[in-house]
Amino acid sequence: MTAARYVVNEIKGYHRFVKFLIALVAIAAVASLARFVFGLGPTTNLNDTYPWGLWISFDVVTAVPLAAGAFTLGAIVHCFHIKKLEPLVRPAIVTGFLGYSLVCIGLVLDLGQPHKGWHVLRYWNPHSPMFEVSMCVMAYTTVLFLEFLSPVAEKFGWHVPMRVLRWLEMPLVILAAAISTLHQSSLGTFFLIVVDKLHNLWYNPLLPLLFWVSAICAGMCIIILEATASHKWMGQPNEGVLLRTLAKVLPWTLGLYIGLRTFSLLALVEGPFFDRPGLTIAFFLEFGVGFVLPCIMFTQKSVREDDRRRAIAASLVIFGLVLNRFNVSMIGMMNPRHIYLPSIIETLVTLGIIAAHILFFVLIAKYFPIFEHHPETVDYTIPDSFHKLDGGPSVEVKAASHGG
Amino acid sequence: MSSRKDFTKDKAFLIDMTKCTGCRGCQVACKQWNQLDAEKTEFFSGEGYQNPPAMSEKTFTRIKFRDYQKNGQNEFAFYKEMCMHCNEPACASVCPVGAFEKTAEGPVIYKADRCIGCRFCMIACPFGIPKYEWSKAFPLVKKCTGCYSRVKEGMKPACATTCPTAISYGPRDEMIKEAERRLTDYPDRYIHKVYGKDQAGGTSVIYLTSLPFDELGFKPVTMRPLPGYTWQALRLVPAAFLTVGGGLSAISWINHRKDRLKQEREEAEAAQQPNETKED
Ligand code: SF4
Ligand code: SF4
Ligand code: SF4
Repeated sequence: MTAARYVVNEIKGYHRFVKFLIALVAIAAVASLARFVFGLGPTTNLNDTYPWGLWISFDVVTAVPLAAGAFTLGAIVHCFHIKKLEPLVRPAIVTGFLGYSLVCIGLVLDLGQPHKGWHVLRYWNPHSPMFEVSMCVMAYTTVLFLEFLSPVAEKFGWHVPMRVLRWLEMPLVILAAAISTLHQSSLGTFFLIVVDKLHNLWYNPLLPLLFWVSAICAGMCIIILEATASHKWMGQPNEGVLLRTLAKVLPWTLGLYIGLRTFSLLALVEGPFFDRPGLTIAFFLEFGVGFVLPCIMFTQKSVREDDRRRAIAASLVIFGLVLNRFNVSMIGMMNPRHIYLPSIIETLVTLGIIAAHILFFVLIAKYFPIFEHHPETVDYTIPDSFHKLDGGPSVEVKAASHGG
Repeated sequence: MSSRKDFTKDKAFLIDMTKCTGCRGCQVACKQWNQLDAEKTEFFSGEGYQNPPAMSEKTFTRIKFRDYQKNGQNEFAFYKEMCMHCNEPACASVCPVGAFEKTAEGPVIYKADRCIGCRFCMIACPFGIPKYEWSKAFPLVKKCTGCYSRVKEGMKPACATTCPTAISYGPRDEMIKEAERRLTDYPDRYIHKVYGKDQAGGTSVIYLTSLPFDELGFKPVTMRPLPGYTWQALRLVPAAFLTVGGGLSAISWINHRKDRLKQEREEAEAAQQPNETKED
């Protein structure tokens, strides 16, 4: 009773925006209940022509690359040893963990037989990209959960798990990058099978590689946006200096993507490319506005150093990525005489999933030390030296909280 | 997925559309044998006389009608739509739980107890065959079974048994030979092509027609088996995993070592000349 009242009081104290998010999530919960009661047919606009709709295109195919920041940054910081970016790692891991958990929820809603989802573990079909992605998503969500346990262990002062997690950190970072490479690219492999259905502008044998490279770009841009937003609205320290470093990497990765994409169009597929005006516009919006323009912007020092302009360029990349995934998984396969538009329930559920992501991020940031991480006090060299941790100033605080 | 390479002895349909009278006995037989519910139909709900307007969870096969003019006369052409029972089926290769199986007899069958309902098979099938039970809360996939339960027992599929004129059923090599014989014997009657011989890497349903295939509503498909398209990327998965994992391990080891050496050197220097650093 008192606990419930405590929770209610706590919620009453939240900002209006947070309450709005809670409402969106609640609506989505009701909408997804409707999906189970009334079935996929009546609640969605899916049919035999469009068996995949918004839930696959956004909740899975787009949400996965948007959560790519965790593995990208992990690799940059721990493998390439650009230690100064370390403070960005934890928020990225939280975003990744939330993103993947919500991908799992989106998948369960979309599956016709969710109660049999575990069959993927029982009947293996290594020829299926879907099998690959499911296995990877499960494995990676576990890895992210372990990485996410670090701030939790710190908060509650669990010493032994903390040591184990520290010790596991490097293997986890490498595992995360390897698994992510596989499933980010395998999402592209999904669409290699639709050889006569997907429009020439998007169908090409390099799809897996393109998906992987663009996911890395988007992952970094999400980090930029997230750090900028949490500075602006959540009173977190300004990480501008670090973001500048990150923004320096982006022209290279974006450039690589643009190069590969151009090569794939010019050398690997035969036209016609511009036979359908709608698709031509979609392509130029995606590629021109979403990749080429921000790439040029990021080469400018003035953009990299200005918080606002940097964030704008990053948003353009996110726009490009989202549109690209929609183009590949939906728009590029559409029959012009019979258009699919998501139903209200589909839209509400997806909005709820986005809202849940932001909501949980805000809440986790509120209650767990994800921004207050001071890596300077920890020595990460292999093997990890525990004595530093034991003797460090931060541990005294934790020991105190542990005792009290 | 089967890794079979020889499909000559698979049972196959040879459907000669020039001999089809449009009686739709196959449609009825299919409904009866598979105990499929009737659909609400209307005249001219789709193109021409065909009914129902589309294949669905309740309709595994359908005769499509097309009117055309020949020597000033109105003529009909038909096309029997059904699962092609591909030699190397896309539906089977993409299914995460292997719910589709290419049987040794030829039919591609669906194991409902495995299916998780992801609908990838519907996306992947080049002929748009698998349909979904959209009206149900926990739907399954539905498609022509090739009458596997009959074929297994040595019988012909229900539609082939019923058909008075157009459908022959037998080993695939013999069906192809027969089709080619008809093409040479009656060159004026047919478009000179055996649809299904190489389409999607070869199928167990083979068509002969008098009108161009695209005009009848046959899907333009690749001649390569579809599973190969995804496999050429998927087979790289273990290598990609090891390359990224190993590469990053090596890079981090080198970088960490470099840092540690640098730190040690600095510490040693600092220990040697403590006063100098202070003066700075
Ligand atoms: S036609 Fe489609 S459903 Fe039938 S076997 Fe081929 S891929 Fe599978
Ligand atoms: S819907 Fe069922 S049969 Fe089709 S690919 Fe998914 S699990 Fe396999
Ligand atoms: S083979 Fe059997 S299931 Fe398939 S169309 Fe003919 S009767 Fe129907």
